[in-house]
Order: sequence, then C-alpha cells, then structure tokens
Amino acid sequence: MKRRVKLMFPQVLIKEPVIFTMAKKFDIMPNIRRARITDTVGEMVLELEGEAANLDEAVKSLSEQGIDVEPVEGDVLE
Amino acid sequence: MSYVRGLKCRECGREYPIEPIYVCEFCFGPLEVVYDYDRIKADLTIDKIRSRPTNLWRYRELLPIDGDPYVGLHAGFTPLIKADRLAKEIGVDELYIKDDTVTHPTLSFKDRVVSVALSKAKEFGFDTVACASTGNLAHSVSAQGAAGGFRRFVFIPASLEHSKIVASLAYEPNVVAVEGNYDEVNRLCSEIANKYKWAFVNINIRPFYAEGSKTQGYEIIEQLGWKAPDHVVVPCASGSLLTKIWKSFEEMHKIGILKELHTKVFAAQATGCNPIATAIKSATDVIKPVKPDTIAKSLAIGNPADGFYAKQVVYNTGGWGEDVSDQEIIDAMKLLARTEGVFAETAGGVTLASAIKLVKTGKIKREGTTVICVTGNGLKTKEALEGHVAEPFRIKPKMAFFEEILAKIGN
Repeated sequence: MKRRVKLMFPQVLIKEPVIFTMAKKFDIMPNIRRARITDTVGEMVLELEGEAANLDEAVKSLSEQGIDVEPVEGDVLE
Repeated sequence: MSYVRGLKCRECGREYPIEPIYVCEFCFGPLEVVYDYDRIKADLTIDKIRSRPTNLWRYRELLPIDGDPYVGLHAGFTPLIKADRLAKEIGVDELYIKDDTVTHPTLSFKDRVVSVALSKAKEFGFDTVACASTGNLAHSVSAQGAAGGFRRFVFIPASLEHSKIVASLAYEPNVVAVEGNYDEVNRLCSEIANKYKWAFVNINIRPFYAEGSKTQGYEIIEQLGWKAPDHVVVPCASGSLLTKIWKSFEEMHKIGILKELHTKVFAAQATGCNPIATAIKSATDVIKPVKPDTIAKSLAIGNPADGFYAKQVVYNTGGWGEDVSDQEIIDAMKLLARTEGVFAETAGGVTLASAIKLVKTGKIKREGTTVICVTGNGLKTKEALEGHVAEPFRIKPKMAFFEEILAKIGN
C-alpha cells in the first residue's frame, strides 16, 4: 500500500535521520519527491510504501515526535 | 471546441493531458489547467460575452470544458452591489459587494465550482459524483448532481448537526456519515477517491472544479465596466478562490479585455482558523496547519491545499491578510444586513470584518474601488446570530399598545 504525505519538521528535528529511522523500524519504503528546508522549518513531500498497519504505526510515530503529517492534497472536507 | 492546452504542475511545470488527475506523478505538486490564450484572445470579445445568457458559461472559452455545459445553466452572474451606505460606515470612497448569497441553485459560490466540475465529469464519462463536505459543497453537489442525473455520494463527519445536512438530504443523495475526527474523514475520502472511479469533485476533479471560481472574477470585471478593482477582499478556506480570482483578472488582462491591472488582493480569515493570514503576517512561506475553532465553518480548513499559492498572490499584488474574531464576524454580518440588505453567512462576516480592519490599518486605502466577495447566504448559518439579534416588540392587538412602542422607538 502507498500513501502520499507531506511532512513538516520542527527545527529541532531537521538534523535527525527521522525518515531513515522510520523506514527501518516499520519496514517502510520512502520515496522523496520534494523537500525544502528554511532556517526554521523543514518540509518534505514523499510517498510511503508498506503494509497498511505499518504505515499507520509509522505515521503515528512521526506525529509523536512532533512532525506534522498531512495528506498531499490538503484537507478535502470543505 | 476547447481552448484548453492541458494540465500543468504548479511546482515542477511538467505538463499532462486532460484527465481526471490532480497531482503531478513526479513531485506530487497540484495540477492547474492551462489554456491557449492566443486563440482565446482572437476569439473572445466583449461583444461576444455580452450576447450570451447571463450565467457563468458566458466566459466558456476560459473554462475547462470541450463541449456544451451540462449543468449550472442558471448559476453565476450574481449582483455586484454598489454599497454606498456601507462604504460610508467603513470609510472608503467606492465599495462593491459581489453578492454570491443568491447564486443558483444552492445560494453559495460553490454552485460555480460544482457547475464546472459536473459538466467536466459528464465529459469524462462519470456516472457518479462525490464530495466531502460539512455544508455548501454538499448542498451544491446534491442539487446539481440531481439535476444532472448523477448518482451522488456525500461524505460528512458523523458529528455534524442534523440541521446542517437537511439542505443536502432534500435532494436525496447517498449521505455517508463517517465516525471519526476531521483528519480521519479527510483521509478516508482521499482513499475512496483514489480507489473508486467516481468524480470526487474536490479531489480528482479538483483542477477543473477550482476553475469555476474564476467566473466570480470575470463577473466583477464585467460589472465594473470591464475594469479591475483597486482592492479585492476574498475569504480564504483552501485559498483556491483567492488564487482563481487573481487568475481571472490576469487572464482578462492577457486576452486584452482588461487594459490595465493593478489590483491588490487581500485574504480574509477567521482568527479561529487563520493559517494563511498568519503566514502572510509573519512573512513565511510555510503554511502551518491549525485545528479550526470558529463559527465560520465554511472557512474552517486547517490545512489549506492552496494556502501557499494564495499567500504568493497576496504578496505579489501588494495586498495583505487579516483575521477576525467570532464577535467581529457577527458584528459584520449584522452591519452588512443593516446597511445593504444583504444577509451573508458567517464567511461573509469574515470578509467584511477583515476589510474593516484592513481599512483601519491603512492596508486598504480610502481612495479607489474596493470589492468585497461575499460567498454564501446567511440562511445557511442563521444559528450564528442566535442571541445576537434584537427581540421583536410583542404587543396586544390594540392600537394604543402599538403607539406606545412607536413612541419608544422614536424616529
């Protein structure tokens, strides 16, 4: 299963190997499509591929670390 | 005959043929409809527009359909009201209200985008249309989908008050109430849109759907006598309407109908959901998602898909962004009703209240033409005014009692 997400990293995590750690821990294959880092924030748009349950756990883990995880299409409920 | 050249990624510029797709396969950037403006310039004239029926399809060369429009034949061409009383109250010389409270058939500007989305859905061969909505979008998809003979699915959060969905249920779509928070509803709808071959108007049909918003801008220009205003104040939810109003102005300039263009574009949000206004005020390119908490439910998009692009338009045109409290929203709704006889939904209160702040802070100058975009009817959110409007005078059926009241009211 694949999921397209946009991640927003707080400044304190920009230097951490967050994606690599997540990929190993939850057996996820990340495919980075776009990224941008400013002095205050890091943004990354990527596709995550793995088992559905692992994807849920991986996203939960990222959120718990303080990373904002959003679908690339933004909020569709309008 | 279509004047559409294709779809283009807003991020990397890669082009795609016209299909029901919405993100770039390479960088996941959003896709935008691009047109052959040289051909439009040669074919579309003011006289041609004037000769057509007064609906949003009078600008059809600038809309992404190939054949004749399928739905929305009475949508659009809402009044542009010269609001002299309100102008005096807020301190500007020339003020107009673009009044989409009376859009056919469901009384909000969503009738514009849904007209285009469903006409395009028909061309693509879809028999089922869908949306995720808490209000205006659901109303329009339900109604226009019925008129177009589509099977319809409307997804709502299960927590939504029943009164809010009655206006959709009347048209008998399939309404699916999803138990979960807004994030979970959003995610499920994206998954459904990617799995089922339906026209999910604001997901896989989004590039076409969003183009419908441009018609509000074309109408403003036409109704101002083929001129663009000096200032335009636009409410922001996803940010799409603001970017499309600006696109409509640029297009009219590009095809030579507008001789000059110097409009400043202003974004209006509720303080309880202000990711775009915050980014503008703090001069950052990052739109930080928020958890909405405002009475302006139709603007309550915490993670706005077009927030970054809306912010760019505001910056590039020399505009600004403002946000307002729930009380300011209510006060502005009442002011608009009291001075101009227009009863707007809460989003209209957001736009007017933001405009008032922008005038007070000098971001909008008194001189020049200002247009405020009012996008939905107050009857949709009338509960917002409960406890904030006067009680009727109650009297016994005798003249003396009436005259007693009249004396109290005075002149």
